[in-house]
Amino acid sequence: MSVATVISDWSAPNQERARTLLEAYPERRSAAMPLLYLASLEHGHLTPAAMAQVAELTGLTSAQVQSVASFYTMYKRDHVGRYLISVCTSISCFLMGADDVLEAIEEETGTPDGTTSSDGTFSVEHVECIGACGGAPAVQVNYELVEGVAPERGATLCRWLRESSPEVVVTDEMQKYFGGVRSFDWGITETVGAIAPVPAFGPYGSTGEESA
Amino acid sequence: MPEQPPPEMVTISLDGQEIEVPQGEYIIKAAEDQGTYIPRFCYHSRMKPVGLCRMCLVEVETPRGRILTTACNTPVAPEMIVDTESAVVQKAQEGILEFLLINHPLDCPVCDKGGECPLQDQTVAYGPGESRFVEEKRHFEKPIPLSDIVLMDRERCILCARCTRFSEEVSGDPLIEFVGRGNQTHVITFPDEPFASYFSGNTVQICPVGALTAKPYRFKARPWDLEAIESVSMVDASGASISIETSQNEVVRINGVDNDATNHGWLSDKDRFVFQAIHSENRLATPLIRDDAGDLQPASWGDALDRVADALGSVRGDEVASIGGANNTNEEAFALGKFLRTVVVTPHIDAQVGDALNPEFLAGVTPRAEIGDLDGAATILVWAGDLKEEFPTLFLRVRHAVTQMGAKLIVVHPRRTGLDNIAAEKITYRPGEGPEVVRKLTAQGDQDYGAVRDLLTAGPVIALVGLTGRAEDPRLAEAVAAYALGLPGSKVLPLARRANVFGALDMGLAPTLLPGRVPVKSESGRAELESHWGPLPGEAGLDTAGIIAGLAAGDLKALLLVGADPVRDGRNPDAVRAALDAAEFVVSLDMFLNDSNQQASVILPVDGFAETEGTVTNIEGRVQKVNRILPGPGQSRALWSILDELSSRMGGQLGAGDGPAIAKEIALVAPAYRSMTWDRLEWGPERDGVVMPDRDGVQELRFVPDDSGLRPTAGRLALHSGRVLYDGGTRNTQSPALAGLTPDPAVYLHPRDASALALADGQEVDVAGEFGTVRLRLELDPSLAEGSAYVPANLDSTWVLGVPDVVTVEAQSSKGKKNEKKKGKKKGAGE
Repeated sequence: MSVATVISDWSAPNQERARTLLEAYPERRSAAMPLLYLASLEHGHLTPAAMAQVAELTGLTSAQVQSVASFYTMYKRDHVGRYLISVCTSISCFLMGADDVLEAIEEETGTPDGTTSSDGTFSVEHVECIGACGGAPAVQVNYELVEGVAPERGATLCRWLRESSPEVVVTDEMQKYFGGVRSFDWGITETVGAIAPVPAFGPYGSTGEESA
Repeated sequence: MPEQPPPEMVTISLDGQEIEVPQGEYIIKAAEDQGTYIPRFCYHSRMKPVGLCRMCLVEVETPRGRILTTACNTPVAPEMIVDTESAVVQKAQEGILEFLLINHPLDCPVCDKGGECPLQDQTVAYGPGESRFVEEKRHFEKPIPLSDIVLMDRERCILCARCTRFSEEVSGDPLIEFVGRGNQTHVITFPDEPFASYFSGNTVQICPVGALTAKPYRFKARPWDLEAIESVSMVDASGASISIETSQNEVVRINGVDNDATNHGWLSDKDRFVFQAIHSENRLATPLIRDDAGDLQPASWGDALDRVADALGSVRGDEVASIGGANNTNEEAFALGKFLRTVVVTPHIDAQVGDALNPEFLAGVTPRAEIGDLDGAATILVWAGDLKEEFPTLFLRVRHAVTQMGAKLIVVHPRRTGLDNIAAEKITYRPGEGPEVVRKLTAQGDQDYGAVRDLLTAGPVIALVGLTGRAEDPRLAEAVAAYALGLPGSKVLPLARRANVFGALDMGLAPTLLPGRVPVKSESGRAELESHWGPLPGEAGLDTAGIIAGLAAGDLKALLLVGADPVRDGRNPDAVRAALDAAEFVVSLDMFLNDSNQQASVILPVDGFAETEGTVTNIEGRVQKVNRILPGPGQSRALWSILDELSSRMGGQLGAGDGPAIAKEIALVAPAYRSMTWDRLEWGPERDGVVMPDRDGVQELRFVPDDSGLRPTAGRLALHSGRVLYDGGTRNTQSPALAGLTPDPAVYLHPRDASALALADGQEVDVAGEFGTVRLRLELDPSLAEGSAYVPANLDSTWVLGVPDVVTVEAQSSKGKKNEKKKGKKKGAGE
């Protein structure tokens, strides 16, 4: 079956992206993981229908795609809020008070760890190491990193997200207003960020430019 | 098995003993072959190792000192020092088992696996004795159905991945997979996509715990109460080895037995669960005689046999004919042939009902391939029915040869087949145009099929040749075989589906063959047999089609139906029925009533699968032993004993006193079977079966292809009447586990044909042919050649169509017009 028939319900740009991803690998099945992000973006999260579509595109069975999707926690198979707040609770962050950060964020958003708020604005989760030990405690919003987040700054970050509901969340912007100590100097200022709870990456179409 | 060069040997030290093992062998296998068993859960000799369960840890000396490593995926190397019993290894084994048991429910007393459970056994042998785990175990909802047959208890699962690897690696339909990770990992299907695999039962058999269970056996018996006997599956003619297991005189389970020559231990679900039919309440258990009012009445054996003897004795011998015998053992088939040729004295004998392939081709093609030859083939040509539907265990062997051994596969078929996804080349042709494909492949300089021709220049080529569908001219298979035999290093494996059809032909149940692959027309061969049997008819007899015609014309008066249902299997059901009506006398020897024997004068109940002892012959000509573990129901009797008694009533002498006596006579009078004895097949290396002829055996029969002037058949919609595994055959419908799996009847058209006929997907249509009309749902199938219609054979309603060359497909005819209008409106409103 042609790509167009399998994902005819996808937006035209995403159909095009799927085609490009499929062509990028010598074996179709290698495109499964990037396609899962694209499907998440298209459907909001990885619905069974989306997994079946990826299976059809890659020549895998739906069961195999489900197996991959369920192994990696960044593939969300349940509804996920507009802003996914991931609080690192691994050793460095834990020692620097991650539990308090998580508690403050849960309180501010009214969203217990591992759930999504009823209005669909927030999902809150605790995660394993996100590679920011030098800047602990660290938090991600839609996989955009913020370091040195004290509990009250975390709460402020969430309030800002709710009140100004930015189209794009950008690491540097959030770091500037809500972050603290950083692991190291990140160099040039990045203005590209994430538009959805999917890692910001050009080929997925999940990136957006910070509104200046 | 074909000869293979001996592997290079290396010397390793295993537990202090120097041993010679083949280079590259995994430690676990090398040790096992030397008699040292290393415990394991995930390792299975017929699948690639994964090193997942860690149970097979052994100590190996390395430059960095002694290390623990998994024996299942570490190949041996020269001078390797391996220790399987050291204190370190024992501690590791105890540790692994303690981990595995952390979440295992230990519900052994209510678990079907208890008593034959590798986890249980190895915990006793290698386990720590007690657990330090006092916390709450992991819980899952259980058991959940993965399909109509298989259930999953995820709490018992130890995540060895045997089942998931089988589905991906061996059967190629990975519908079950690991989901989640860490403590929450479990095996499951995709939502609403059940584990509907033809091979799902194998995962139950290889599960090393009680996680996977199959409905027919659940809570039926305990392993220590089972009686088991080895035998051969009678589902198709590939000769899969099985173990039949009974409890309290009832078969409760069939497991695959690893036969290197045939099935590698795997079975299809039909092989595995079809045994239920022998315990069906519809089994015939008493002789039946039709009374004057036309009703079947139970009768004594004496009365029934008198009636048959009288009827057969009151007509000339050559006015009697016999159809069937392909589901019986060689000994029964031999007794039947001898009864017909020497007591009744008729040449009109045919074991083939619907397929009608030339028996000289099936029994005489030379060189004939063995299944094991597939593993050494460079190219495999499959021009036959869809193997997945007709020969499921052979399908797995072809898959193995292609995916593991690197053979290139060419499939020629009118429609998609189960092998297409691993085929290097596929030729799809319109049914009836096969001769044209052969011509194009043969013709020098023809531009078509270049890639196929290139592949076929690389030998050895193994060609699997049979009928792609029932509407195919049987001579096409001969033309294909003739072409294939000209390819480099080629051998042909002839395919006819019915259980022991090759044995039946070898025993002379064919109009042109005498026992032991001797053509009737061979003067010397016939003289040799006459020296044992006395004078025989010298002319070839009529085949099934000829017999049907002869009955209708009145030339034939009496018919024996031996486990055959020619109404369902014949080309023209109405004509067969009329021929049966025209016959003065029909006696049926069967296990069930069917569409053909409902009107018989006498019906005699015979013993069947698991109830008879004897031998069978598979597609390779391999003879294997089938065994008896049960008596037949009620008064049913073995076919040979019925024929023996019938002979004496008719003044003849069959000498078929018992199975072994018949086997001895076969070895005496059937040249190709001269060295065959039951003893050879009972134990030792020949338990896997012996391909005939061997040692003293000789085979006079040589298939000589002739250019029969086969021409393509023309017509608008050529019929492809392909078989499906779970069709409406008696054994399927009488096995509760399989009865529900029969697909819905439908007609399949190429989308362009459908739109040319203004027909839509899902619409009810009338399919009409020369012999009948049937109303079916239309399904679009782009895998079909244009100008053809696929109707699965022998489903609930499709058999009424018979097997015409061409069909017409149109929207419901006038009769159904009112209906159609209503439906049309509804549909319109819905859209």
